[in-house]
Formats: sequence, structure tokens, C-alpha cells
Amino acid sequence: MTTVPQTHLERRYAALGLLLIAPTVLVFCVVIVYPLISAVYLSLFSIFTPTLQGEWVGLSNYQALLSTGEFWTSLGNNVIWTVGTLVLQIVFGVAMALVLHENLWFRALARSLILFPYFVSTVVAVLVWKWLFNDLYGILNHLMIVAGLIEFPLDHLGSMPNAMISVIIVGAWKYFPFVVIAVLARLQTIPEQLYEAARIDGAGPFARFWDITLPQLREVLVVIVLLRAIWDFKEFDLIFLLTGGGPIIGTQTLPLLVYKEAFALNRMGMAAAYAVVMMALMLAFMLIYIRQTRRRES
Amino acid sequence: MRFVRRIFFNLAAWAVVLAVAFPLFWMIVTSVKPQFELFRRPPTFLPDTFTLEHYARLLIDTAFLVYFKNSVILATTTTVIVVAIATLGAYSLVRFRYRGRENLAFLVLFTYLLPSVVLLLPLYLMLVRVGLSNTIASLVVAYTTFALPYALWLLRSFMAGIPEDLESAALVDGASRLGAFWDVILPQLLPGIISTALFTFILSWNEYLYALVLVNSDSARPLTTGVVNMLVSAFNIEWSLLMAASVMMSVPLIVVFAFLQSYLTRGFGAGAVKG
Repeated sequence: MTTVPQTHLERRYAALGLLLIAPTVLVFCVVIVYPLISAVYLSLFSIFTPTLQGEWVGLSNYQALLSTGEFWTSLGNNVIWTVGTLVLQIVFGVAMALVLHENLWFRALARSLILFPYFVSTVVAVLVWKWLFNDLYGILNHLMIVAGLIEFPLDHLGSMPNAMISVIIVGAWKYFPFVVIAVLARLQTIPEQLYEAARIDGAGPFARFWDITLPQLREVLVVIVLLRAIWDFKEFDLIFLLTGGGPIIGTQTLPLLVYKEAFALNRMGMAAAYAVVMMALMLAFMLIYIRQTRRRES
Repeated sequence: MRFVRRIFFNLAAWAVVLAVAFPLFWMIVTSVKPQFELFRRPPTFLPDTFTLEHYARLLIDTAFLVYFKNSVILATTTTVIVVAIATLGAYSLVRFRYRGRENLAFLVLFTYLLPSVVLLLPLYLMLVRVGLSNTIASLVVAYTTFALPYALWLLRSFMAGIPEDLESAALVDGASRLGAFWDVILPQLLPGIISTALFTFILSWNEYLYALVLVNSDSARPLTTGVVNMLVSAFNIEWSLLMAASVMMSVPLIVVFAFLQSYLTRGFGAGAVKG
């Protein structure tokens, strides 16, 4: 791809191109690249957050981290949360996209209503769900009792495994619209002839979904799963606001652990080590996603 | 028979849609109920007594308006800066040839996926050191870390959708490169710019973590942390007040949804999924 600029004009264009990208590169270096490098550097120190004074400890933060149970518990929680909420998002998102692709009454309105949770602030979403979950006056307990599902009000956020289930459900509610929109856009490009041909061959609705829709969606689903996996894995706001990682550390994921180490336990260096390890874990997924995109572009 | 099935499908589908939208409906209903009605059993699905007292209290007795003003300044500043830089950057990445261009594009994608907790600690140290902590400016700097890669990636794909011939034609007619950018590219890119600006604004409006860590005073606090702070400091949680705050906080979003929704859907297509 890279051709060496030859003519005078081409060289001038290349210079202009560099000039236009310069602000981006400058900002990137100051607020992203430099902090990223110093995050790794910080993780080699022991730093007391209120004073920001610290001393070099080498790799001992990493040594401590790998030998504490809390890291492994948080990693486990992180995986449970990510897989749980991702599966719900995908299943529910694809199903909803199929429904919205049909000729539904007031389809535009239905689409707006479905889209809204994704754009609403996590703070708003969490406040509303906390009110729904309220053990004494929450509508959810009331409806569940009326429906005969439970006999006594449930503690949705203060006990395990309820807290994890609640967090996963709220996460699915908040983020499944992303799947809906992405899948819907792809559905609209599947040629209608494919379905007609299948119908002539006598394929029922289920066979049509399995043999036509799903293979056509495969590529976009891979992209969605990767993106959502990355984003769900690093989710902080939703879990922090909903349960704060509790009860005890029942729903504490790695991002919450980083925050706790840095600003509750005042161990900034240790927190940086957790953050670096977390990023290293995510790196595999990020690289796969980038490679995928690269392949599609070329 | 087909007709019956159609009705059945529609009813079932709408039941699910309404269930998904229920939390938002409940937010609005709760915000206009008087406090005593919240604790009635069984709960009333539509308010018996309609009141706007919570909204009035929110605007008069609390710091809500200060937070709101901060959020407007913060999100607007971030959006303007980020979209301006990203428009130039995207133009350069798509339409110019120079060494390292491809790698730069993928560095952008990489940072777009980067978790904020990794950048949070060094940024905190950096902003404390330069004396910016506890200001709206510190949040603008921090928000750039996620908003700029996002806007760049979005605009890059919008830019790639503009036919190259248009620009070439202008150049043949004697326009300079920047002249062609201004007269030909920018008008074509406008819908993409609007879409990107909306996304950036919403992203900044909703951000919580950086605001939580970097700002600790009411004068600079945006809505997200401000409202949660009201919840924490209150002795007993006043749900109707919080729901009123939640509704008010979503007002910009509701405006966007009512008038500019096509731009949101467009941004969706361009950004993440088409790549």
C-alpha cells in the first residue's frame, strides 16, 4: 500500500496530510499513549494515593496480585458477568431484530422504544432499576408475588446469587439494543430471493431461519460478539452503581477492583498492576477484533 | 387464519416491546406521584394524584441546575473540540497517502477499545500534577481519551463513503486541496458530522467514572455524579425526587430521539459494525 511520494505535488499532498493529522497525533500522545505507558510504569511502584508518594517495588505488585484470592474471584466474576450478559444480549437482540424486521404495527415507535435503553445514561438506568428492585416498595417484587412466582419479597441486590443475576439482567436490558440495530441493518440486506427459493423448496420458517438467516448473519454476529465482549468485560458504571461490587465481593469485577485499590485502599501502584493485567487479558480479544476489521477492509 | 396469526404476532411483539420500555415508563410515573403514593400497596400504575412538586423542588432546592449547566458546558466543549480534530484527522486518514497511515488508523481502533480504568490512574496523576483536578477542563481532557478515537473511527467510515471523483473534479477545476475539502467534502460529510457529534455528546453526557474520580466539588460536578451524590447524601432515599432527576437528565436524549433519530441509526451503521 505505502507508495513513496514521487512528484512535487504528491509530496506536497503528503505534507498536508501529515499537517491535518498532527492535532490528532498530538492529542493521542498526550492523553492516551503517555498515560498508557505510565500505567505500566506506575504498576512497578507502591504509591499511597492521598499523598501520591511512592517507592520502586519492581514486579512485587504482580507477584502479590497473582497470589491473592481476590484477584481470581474478581476475574471469575468478570467472566461470569461478561458471558452471562453477552449471551442474553445476543439471544434477545437477534430475536428482537427478527421481530422488528417483520411488518409490525407502529414499527418506528417500537424501534425507538427498544433503542432508548442503550442511549439513556447508565446512572439513570441504574437508579430506575434500583427503584424497581426495591425490596419493600419495588414493583418487581409486587408483580412476582401477584404472579405467584415468590411468596416473600426477594432481596435482589443484597444477596447472592440474586445480585449477580440482577446485574446481568440490567446489563442485558441496557445493551441488547446495540445487537438489535446491528442485526437489523444486516437483515435488510439479505436478498428476498433466497427466502422465496427456500419457500418453493418447502422450507418452514424455522428451517429458513436456520439455513438462510443465520449463515447470512454469521459475519456480523462475530463482530458484535467481539465488540460486546470487550465492552462488557470492561464495564464499570453499571456494576459499580448497582451493587458496588457487593454483597462483599460477590459482583466485584476487575474494573471495580482497580477502583477500590486506588481510591478506597489507597494503593495506586497495586491498582495500576490490576489494570495492566486486565488489559493484557483483553488484548487477545482486541487484537482479534482489529485483525477482523483489517481483513474486511482490504 | 392468517389475519388471526398476524394479530397474535403483533400483540405478542408489542407486549415484549412494552416490557422493555416499562422501566422508563415507571420512571416517569414515579416522578409525578406524590411521595405518600409511592408506598401504597398495591402500587398504582397510573398516578392517582398528579404532581410536579418533585420537579419544582429539584430545580429550586437542590444543586441540580448547577450540575445541569456543568454537563451542558462539558459535553458541548468536548464535542466541539473532538469533532473538529477528528474531522481533519479522518480526512487525512482516508484521502492522503503517507508512511504509517494504516498503522495510525489501527492505533485509533485500538484506543477505541481500550478500557478507561487503565488510563484513569495516570490521567488522575497527570491532572493533579498540572493543577487541573476538580475543574470541568480536567474532564474535557479525560473525555477526549474515549471520545476522540470514537469520533475518528466514525468519521473515517463516513469519509470513506464519499466518492473520490467529487474531490478530483474540484481539483481539476483548479481548487486547492483545502478549498476542495471546504467546498466539496464538508457539505457531503455534514450528516456524518452531525451523527458523530450527537454520539460524542451523548457519550460525554452519560460518562460517570472519570467524573467520579476527577471532580470532587459541587461547582464542577456534572449531572451523573451530581445526581448519584444527592442519592448518597440523602438520609432516606427520596425515590420520586430521583426519578424526576432521571427524567430531567434524559431531556437532551429525548429531544435527540424526537427530532434526530435517523442520525443515530446512521452512526450505528457507520461506526462499530461496518468497521
